[in-house]
Amino acid sequence: MTSSAVDPVQLEQVRQRVFLALFIALAVTLNAVEYLLPSPLPWFRFGLANILTVTALYLYGSRAAWTVALSRILIGSLLLGTLFSPGFLLSLSGGLLATLLMTSSFQLLGSRIGPVGVSVLGALGHAGGQLLIAWLLIVQHPSIWLMLPFFLLFSLISGMINGLAADMLLDFLLKHEAFARHKTTREFPSQTSGSDVT
Amino acid sequence: MALGELLQRLTRFDRYLILCLSLLVGVSFLLPFGRQAGARLIVEADNRTVFSAPLDTPRQFAVEGPLGMTRMEVRNGAVRVLHSPCPQKICIGLGEARRAGDLLACVPNRIVVRIEGDVEGAAYDLLSR
Amino acid sequence: MFNRPLIPILLILLVALLFWLRQPAGESMVSRTALVMGTLVEIKAYGEDRAQLEETIDTAFNEMVRLEQLFSSHLPESEISRLSAATGSFAVSRETAVLLELGIEMARLSDGAFDLGLGRLKDLWDIGGENPQIPGEQSLRRALHGAGPAALQLEGLQVRKQAPDLHIDLGGIAKGYIIDRAAELLLQAGVSSAAVNAGGDIRLLGDRQGQDWRIGIQHPRESDATMATLNLRNRAVVTSGDYERFFVRDGIRYHHLFDPQNGRPARGCQSVTVVAADAASADALATAAFVLGPRAGLDLLEQLPDVEGLLVTADGRRLATAGIESALEWH
Repeated sequence: MTSSAVDPVQLEQVRQRVFLALFIALAVTLNAVEYLLPSPLPWFRFGLANILTVTALYLYGSRAAWTVALSRILIGSLLLGTLFSPGFLLSLSGGLLATLLMTSSFQLLGSRIGPVGVSVLGALGHAGGQLLIAWLLIVQHPSIWLMLPFFLLFSLISGMINGLAADMLLDFLLKHEAFARHKTTREFPSQTSGSDVT
Repeated sequence: MALGELLQRLTRFDRYLILCLSLLVGVSFLLPFGRQAGARLIVEADNRTVFSAPLDTPRQFAVEGPLGMTRMEVRNGAVRVLHSPCPQKICIGLGEARRAGDLLACVPNRIVVRIEGDVEGAAYDLLSR
Repeated sequence: MFNRPLIPILLILLVALLFWLRQPAGESMVSRTALVMGTLVEIKAYGEDRAQLEETIDTAFNEMVRLEQLFSSHLPESEISRLSAATGSFAVSRETAVLLELGIEMARLSDGAFDLGLGRLKDLWDIGGENPQIPGEQSLRRALHGAGPAALQLEGLQVRKQAPDLHIDLGGIAKGYIIDRAAELLLQAGVSSAAVNAGGDIRLLGDRQGQDWRIGIQHPRESDATMATLNLRNRAVVTSGDYERFFVRDGIRYHHLFDPQNGRPARGCQSVTVVAADAASADALATAAFVLGPRAGLDLLEQLPDVEGLLVTADGRRLATAGIESALEWH
């Protein structure tokens, strides 16, 4: 980065947009890869794309997280050809509830909640939102709730793993000067290797 | 990667949150979500529903048809005909109905008993006999 | 656009909702039972409009009752009863003629194992009736008089009986024909996914919400068990077994599936299940194969196109036609 006469605020905005675009691209890719992988049950998805949403949340705040989540759902379903199908509605409702939980917990609790906590909440929100819409619109059959415990357990585990991945990604990114110069709206709350962040 | 190192990445709140949610998930396995209290039996006389009861509560009851009272019993999650005024007593010989879709009928007395609801492990939709 | 997240969210939701409303609101299932033909008939139908489904099912039941009054040999005013009482040529309705023609064809295909003229034999045994009995040789021969593949001649709507005292009994075919008619009515009313089950004689329309219908096959000796499952769509399944109507005397089971050769219950099988395109053929062929016994019965089913089946021999062995393997799961 050469120093030039560019307004630093403007530069930061552009930089943020570029990185968000990258995050979205990555999220869409992860989403697509996940669909290609065999899954024990159609609804059990690992939600790897959420790693990018959490990372965006901790780097750039709530609005960025919304941008990544919504774009991922839209572009992802466009790519997979599921746009506006019942599956899309499920994915959308899961994504909305997940992002709502993640951003609000992040804003309410600030540095007390880490990426892992946020990610777990997101994963559970995703599962809950999907089941709720499935219940309301697709199958009003009580046996759908039979799956709930398994669904929740699976999301809890995947949420933790995704959260840890996001935390590591954040560690890694914040070591880079492109982010090091950038102060998030909030203090990054990771308890490890904070020394590298200035 | 050591577990401790991973745990280091969690804030105190994260750990409590995960603990609470784990308990919640554990509890959700115990709750009877979607597991219906059990199937119900429906008794129809002359194509009208005259009696309905859950299959998991033992009881005896009687339904009136053109020939008289047909007495039935619910026991061990199944319903059977105890006594019938019909000449052949085929309905008694039909044995028990316990799975969703199972049917008992006393044709002469125009009484039909069927089981409704979700019973796990129903291996077929229809029975050819 | 993404600086105001709420607007795109609302927009997406709105669009998704619109698309959703354009899709069918989801299928519902209507299941109704009624007592027709002395047995419990259940019609299950899937569709979007509940009220219309119920109306269609009602129509189907009414049609079944109407046909029963045409074909029953228990109702003295039925066409079949009057044909039995007639001595000369007798004019029948078109529906009866169609059914009789199919029955005559089945009798020919099975070399007389299926027989429409067993009315007096069945009355004699009275299996499932109030006074079942084991008739003597003499009365059996008298009851069989005039029966056989050539018992009826059909020309247009005119029926001529070979022997004036021949009594028609459509027991082995009418039930199948009636559920076929009910299924056709459902189909005409636009129902594409339904099942008509008359006491275990089944006609399927289409599939069950994208899946095969799973048809359990009654175990001939364990009343609470199935011996196999058939995964089918758009087929008819009829099982004939010696456990359906019988009485036991001196340790011998006397059942309702008679061999027209000697007028006695056929001894080769415990049960025969036939899968065919229509229930009337399946019904008649199940009876015919039962009477023919395992080897000839299975040969008959193998040799007919679009017909499959499985059977349990008198000593409990299970056999099946080659073409049914893919749909069949033994238990």
